[in-house]
Amino acid sequence: MFKTRSFVTLSCLLITALMLAACPAPAADSGNGEGMEEGPIQIGAIFDLTGPTSDVGQLYSGGIKGYVDFVNATGGIDGRMVELLSADYAYAVDQAEQLYSQYVNENEVLVFSGWGTGDTEALRGRIGDDEIPFVSASYSAALQDPAEAPYNFLIGTTYSDQFILAIDRAAAEGASVVALFHNDSPFGTSPLEDGRDHAGELGIDVINFPMPRGATDYTAELSQAAEQGATHVVVQNVSSPAATLAKNVDNLGLDMTIMCLNWCTNELLLELSGEAGDGIIGVNPFTFPSSGVAGLDEIAGHLESEGTMTLDEAGGLYIAGWTTMKVLLQGVRDVSAAGDELTGANVRAALENLSGYDTGGITDPITFTGEDHAGNKTVQFFEASGGVWSPVSERVGVEN
Amino acid sequence: MNSGVFHTTYKSDLALRPVPIMRWRLIFVLLLALLLPFMVSNYYLTLANQIGIMAIGAIGLNILTGYTGQISLGQGGFMAIGAYTSGILAAWYGVPWYLTIPIACVATALFGGIFGIPSLRLKGLYLAIATLAAQQIIEWVIIRSSARGAEAIPLPGIKFFGTSISKLKFDFITGRLGGREFWYYWIVLFFLILVVLFTVNLFRSKTGRAFIAIRDQDIAAEVMGVNVFQYKILSFATSSFIVGLAGALQAQYRGIVSFESFTIDVSILYLAAIIIGGLGSVSGAIYGAIFMTLLPALLRSVGSSLGGVIPGIDQYIAFMQQGVFGLVVILFLVFEPEGIAKMWRNAKDYFRLWPFSY
Repeated sequence: MFKTRSFVTLSCLLITALMLAACPAPAADSGNGEGMEEGPIQIGAIFDLTGPTSDVGQLYSGGIKGYVDFVNATGGIDGRMVELLSADYAYAVDQAEQLYSQYVNENEVLVFSGWGTGDTEALRGRIGDDEIPFVSASYSAALQDPAEAPYNFLIGTTYSDQFILAIDRAAAEGASVVALFHNDSPFGTSPLEDGRDHAGELGIDVINFPMPRGATDYTAELSQAAEQGATHVVVQNVSSPAATLAKNVDNLGLDMTIMCLNWCTNELLLELSGEAGDGIIGVNPFTFPSSGVAGLDEIAGHLESEGTMTLDEAGGLYIAGWTTMKVLLQGVRDVSAAGDELTGANVRAALENLSGYDTGGITDPITFTGEDHAGNKTVQFFEASGGVWSPVSERVGVEN
Repeated sequence: MNSGVFHTTYKSDLALRPVPIMRWRLIFVLLLALLLPFMVSNYYLTLANQIGIMAIGAIGLNILTGYTGQISLGQGGFMAIGAYTSGILAAWYGVPWYLTIPIACVATALFGGIFGIPSLRLKGLYLAIATLAAQQIIEWVIIRSSARGAEAIPLPGIKFFGTSISKLKFDFITGRLGGREFWYYWIVLFFLILVVLFTVNLFRSKTGRAFIAIRDQDIAAEVMGVNVFQYKILSFATSSFIVGLAGALQAQYRGIVSFESFTIDVSILYLAAIIIGGLGSVSGAIYGAIFMTLLPALLRSVGSSLGGVIPGIDQYIAFMQQGVFGLVVILFLVFEPEGIAKMWRNAKDYFRLWPFSY
């Protein structure tokens, strides 16, 4: 069968098809490049829907898509619809580059929404060359300096600031040693140095323990931390390892307060850790549905009109995605309102002029400047109990 | 009419392209490669650049795994050495980019040779684990190298005579050309041709024959007088030299060096690429690189067209793509384990021998 003419021909055709393969089918039906004046405003986004961070990636992507749908349902931006071109890249950086190149070259997107540290770093040079304002869910402190990353804008509080605020809270509770349990990667160690410096000023020791990938037990590290006098454990990791850690703390009966930075402060952590999750303090740059701030009303309204889920089911990550896209598109709105041409450079200038932008309490008012692209420097502390995150503080910020 | 192709000298017998039609095909491919940047948009040039860099890395791995039979899971780590050497020299010491690349190659070759020492005693699966250790060691060193956790190192981009390549544009018959992807294509093409010429000639030489002897039957090779250990180390070093080149090129291409691009997944991806492409042939490595780069793009494009036709399939497309990718790889291994290179040879033979079957 494999030697017949038809099989050989079919194989040749398959090879040829692959060679001609990467025809970038436009991710939506309308054609490309109809001219910025009449056509919809195109924005690009990549999500991790099937890869290693897909558990949080899917929820975040819902928020991004939800906001774009909301904008279109309420008349678009000055009458022009917003077209979101998006795809899943499963955290493969090569595919992120391909998708970015496709959306920028074949489709002419105006702004871009990335996802993780890998693709944000890889695209950093390109977005400067192509002048595409970029937001993502990687809150590394290196991205806030326009000299290093001119087109990146941070809407989530940086990991360093989050850690500093967590240390402040621990200090207020009388801690003298704080342990940072972190993912064994640059993402994990990102807040360490800044946190250590700040803690040093307060007279607090910071000890750190990497959480190796695939580890199922952190008893040894926790025992070491306890021996060294740690009373507070800050977790810079995603929900699954954090849940394991919480269970270990519970089993060992250690008297430690667990504080989760933003990537384990979500509903997923509570699902995974069950009863051991009670008492965990979550550091959230955005907010949870339980805070009841005014900005959540429009999200709840949109979800109701869609009828797919309630605000509580959507959760904190949906809110994060929604707010991120909202701030990014505000830059586009400002350019359109001023009557200027919609280019990446103009949107960047508009974002850098954004001062005190009100998100209805989801974050503190967002301010970007030409020297600082970290728009949000505050967090709100939540405590987990009975499977729900409830606020335990007002929004606090880093004093500069 | 000729009844065949006959050679009368050793030189013509050993020629790379002994038959005229092979020369024509080669010229055609070269012409296509030279004209490509003038005909297509930057998106396709991005794909071409990624394919080129992956092809160089795959050829390097093929020397080690396909020709010498030493299984290596350290590909990601060796590319990281090349990338970080080139990146650190360019970013922190201001070395011009064209000097960082050879230095990175030599550094990687050195480390490759060192990590090849276990091959003296280990073969097959055991050697694979030893090279996996190399991968993990390199990852570990990168992460721990600074308190900030080895943040990505941005590079000062590539400059031709003082101007950054992303700003170097010019008008041509086919439109406005230039920019990062365009100029980088020529750099990658240049190095790819060098690497292909080197590798193809390597296997016409004594060293290459020694490598192949080690793969086929290393005990017999030892008995014949091939110093197996020396040639294994040489194979690791040569392969790492080329892999380091791929890593350095990738670092310069992206303009930034970051840890995420050099994990164990990269090692497995390259192994899959050379197995699908065809072990033990240079063109096989290139076909494998083309396949692995274009397949996700093809699946994405099929997925989004399907999304338009069948409503409600949107949520499942991303998962289907993952599944189809794995399925295609398995089908390849089941129906043509010798890879695309063998499929191409079968196709050529079919047309050459028709209407006979052998």
